[in-house]
Amino acid sequence: MASHFVTSADIPADGERLQNATASKIKTVSGGLCALLSLVSAVLLFFAPESVKAPFAYSWLFAFFFFFTLAIGGIFWTLLHNVSNSGWGTAVRRVMENLGSVFPWICLFAIPLLCPAVQKYLYEWMNTHREAAAIDGISTFEANPKSLFGFYGSEAMKAWFYENHHALLKYKAWYMNLFAWYTRMIFYFVSMTLVIRGLRKLSVAQDTDPNPGTKRLFQARFHSTYTFILFAITITFAAFDLLMGLDFKWFSTMWGVYLFAGSALNSMAVIIITVALLHQAGYMKRVVSPEHFHIKGKLLLAFTIFWAYIAFSQFFLIWYANITEETSYFLIRNTGGWNTANIFLVFGHFVVPFVILLQAWLKRNPKMLSLMAVYMLVMHVVDLYIIVIPERSVSLMNMLPETFGHVTTAIPGAFWGDLLAFVTIGSGFVFFFLRALGSNNLYPNRDPRILESANVSN
Amino acid sequence: MSTTRKRVYGYLAEFKSASALYKAAEQVRDAGFRKWDCHSPYPIHGLDGAMGIKRSILPWFVFFGGMTGLATGFFLAYITQVQIYPTVVQSKPTNIFTVPAFFPPMFELTILFSGFTVLFGLLALIKLPRLNHPLFASRQFHRATDDAFFIAIEARDPKFSPDGTRSLLEEAGGSNIELIEEED
Repeated sequence: MASHFVTSADIPADGERLQNATASKIKTVSGGLCALLSLVSAVLLFFAPESVKAPFAYSWLFAFFFFFTLAIGGIFWTLLHNVSNSGWGTAVRRVMENLGSVFPWICLFAIPLLCPAVQKYLYEWMNTHREAAAIDGISTFEANPKSLFGFYGSEAMKAWFYENHHALLKYKAWYMNLFAWYTRMIFYFVSMTLVIRGLRKLSVAQDTDPNPGTKRLFQARFHSTYTFILFAITITFAAFDLLMGLDFKWFSTMWGVYLFAGSALNSMAVIIITVALLHQAGYMKRVVSPEHFHIKGKLLLAFTIFWAYIAFSQFFLIWYANITEETSYFLIRNTGGWNTANIFLVFGHFVVPFVILLQAWLKRNPKMLSLMAVYMLVMHVVDLYIIVIPERSVSLMNMLPETFGHVTTAIPGAFWGDLLAFVTIGSGFVFFFLRALGSNNLYPNRDPRILESANVSN
Repeated sequence: MSTTRKRVYGYLAEFKSASALYKAAEQVRDAGFRKWDCHSPYPIHGLDGAMGIKRSILPWFVFFGGMTGLATGFFLAYITQVQIYPTVVQSKPTNIFTVPAFFPPMFELTILFSGFTVLFGLLALIKLPRLNHPLFASRQFHRATDDAFFIAIEARDPKFSPDGTRSLLEEAGGSNIELIEEED
């Protein structure tokens, strides 16, 4: 019960590094698998017949956004740890940083989503905008030198939208236009990459500093403040641009928070699993105790509740107000088998884990907690599947009636595409995460707060 | 000289610091005592572990209190809004699928009942309120809320003995050891 008090003599001066045969084997295999499957996926996305590549575009978006939420969640926990000046998590902070540092690599998988050949199946508003841009007279810069790139916001474009019964797109054009969309994509990538790279560099530099002080600690805290705003903007508007944009008529003001809740919850699940596996393999023994798992378990429980709160609030407001533009989302997702999946999510994503995670002993047990973390990740897959995939059959039915006119709530056989996309990006995620974990010390061994963290009690 | 009968409550010993108290608590715990307590001006992290205190049963009371609140909220809304007087709002159904509209009162009553169970369950478990405590007879004990750290071992503990317990407290580093008597 009274565990050994950790002193600086217990912590190796040069830290611990991941040198594990199994880990490097998994890294090699997942890297090779990812490279191979990426080629297959590229063929399916760009060169396959329309009946395959159109559904696969949705599969790709689903799989990409799943791992995007995990990586950006790592950035969130790093920022939160720094900005809240917390001491408990210093022992596991490097895992958070390494999870966040996967972000730029995961963004590589978003490249197909930037190509019009893929976009045309996903985002109907882009098709309309491109159609408008193709009309002579409003597309060229010479014709409208005052508007951005000769096109956006021009009176001719607005008139075109109006004449072609796209009044909604006319009013949304200040936000939903291609120039702004691509600019935002670049902003998300550049800002979050700079944030996590900078913070991790600051943290890693401390590991070899012969005179480690508090300077970097304060620097990390300072730079985490304003960059937290950039993070909030990124997760919110990336959710708007990539997911809400699937149906341009629909909107929900809770959308960004909803995706953030799932992101923070499930990246904490990844952090728990990673630390538990490292602990089992004999790493971080001196700095990580059941107390850390207890705290992380509490955060998992807290974000399970937060997710349910946000998910219910979103549903409740839309259900209560009963406005046609808003209810379409839940109408699609409560038709046919999707209704079963949605009700399953209420119990599987909230009621069951809530009751299980209430127990304190379970949160202190790394194995049991990891099991719950894996369970939460599975539920997150279901959650994102219900967000992205039901839109597929509805959109493609309208867009390509000769190919998809016969489908109802799901496209037969498209599930295998979902699985392929998930495994492709998933193996890439595992590869880059293991690569990051192996590239520096597993915990900030010269951080001024490492002893405070090692002896934490709650 | 007082003629009232007195009964021994137990020993009270003072310790120099929070860490001395912590270490002494571990010794008292390991000696197998059950009916004893630490007194400190502020909470000390990990002291419950050092005292060997088991987890409280209170969370279970709260869980079932909250469940009662949840059920109360559901049936209160369901019986009144669906069974007795079906209230149709915006042509929404009045049946079990109206349940999202009942979630706010269900949530609130869960919190309310949990809160009540925490407060009254805690008061019952720590046997409060009470009018007096035998330790108040000690002249030094008021410093427990100021600058002193105490351990009190009760005489009704089966391991208690007048000499053995005193020497245990002395060995553990206790000073100003005092035998507390309560009026019968």
